[in-house]
Amino acid sequence: MVGWPGMSETTREPDARQLATDARDRVRFEEEALALSDQVYRVARHLVGSREEAEDLMQETYARAFRSWRSFQPGTNLRAWLLRILTNLNIDRGRKIQRTPDLQPLEEGDYFLYNKLEATGDGGSDEDRVVERLSQNDVVGALSEVPHDFRDVVVLVDIGDFTYADAAQILDIPIGTVMSRLHRGRRILKQAMAESAVGGDGE
Amino acid sequence: MTAYDPCAHCEEMMQPYMDRVLTDTERAEAETHLDECTYCRKRYHFEEKLRQFVRQVGQEQMTVELKTKLAGLRTPLQ
Repeated sequence: MVGWPGMSETTREPDARQLATDARDRVRFEEEALALSDQVYRVARHLVGSREEAEDLMQETYARAFRSWRSFQPGTNLRAWLLRILTNLNIDRGRKIQRTPDLQPLEEGDYFLYNKLEATGDGGSDEDRVVERLSQNDVVGALSEVPHDFRDVVVLVDIGDFTYADAAQILDIPIGTVMSRLHRGRRILKQAMAESAVGGDGE
Repeated sequence: MTAYDPCAHCEEMMQPYMDRVLTDTERAEAETHLDECTYCRKRYHFEEKLRQFVRQVGQEQMTVELKTKLAGLRTPLQ
């Protein structure tokens, strides 16, 4: 409650109770933010190329979050708030210098990866067996090949489990842009996974 | 115009279908096709497995050192 002028007899000195409430809110915020750190890290790790970068980014993010905890609105999505700080810091770190790569026509359809894996396998077309032809390294390597703007969206939605709306808010882009980048990003990812798993075309 | 190809249409609808962003009519249409078509159903199951797999790859844990560092960034209690 904001005190009215003239009512402030009791609020002239710093109110010890107010300070205690403030400290308690802050501690609670810090605990909640730390409890989410595994989930935030999971996204961070795939937004940047290396573990070291992800670790630096996490520390910068938490330092900033703890400093500006008052700007978090209780009751809203804290994980999204943290990731918004993180993606902004990541952009500030200079990755914007990287120009968006020339977008070659990439209109392999959505079934491309399955078709490729099935065609080059031992003839089995069982879906479980086909997916087993991909290794973790195929995925991690392929993710790092997806251009940043597209990768941010793919990582937030497909690894971080964010909704389109959350991803739009975190990255401060319209939801339509989230959808188009996701669409394209997933296809780039699939193409990179296919190349990693079975080699490029014509080889 | 080329002739309508239900499998090509299904391929286009696959990601939005899995993201649950289709309208009710579109979803019903996709499901009817998936029920009838082994070719697309196989690929749908593959897509589901693929998503799980990609998500799992993202499960790399933070080191204990990093956790400790993050906890150390809190404002010290007075």
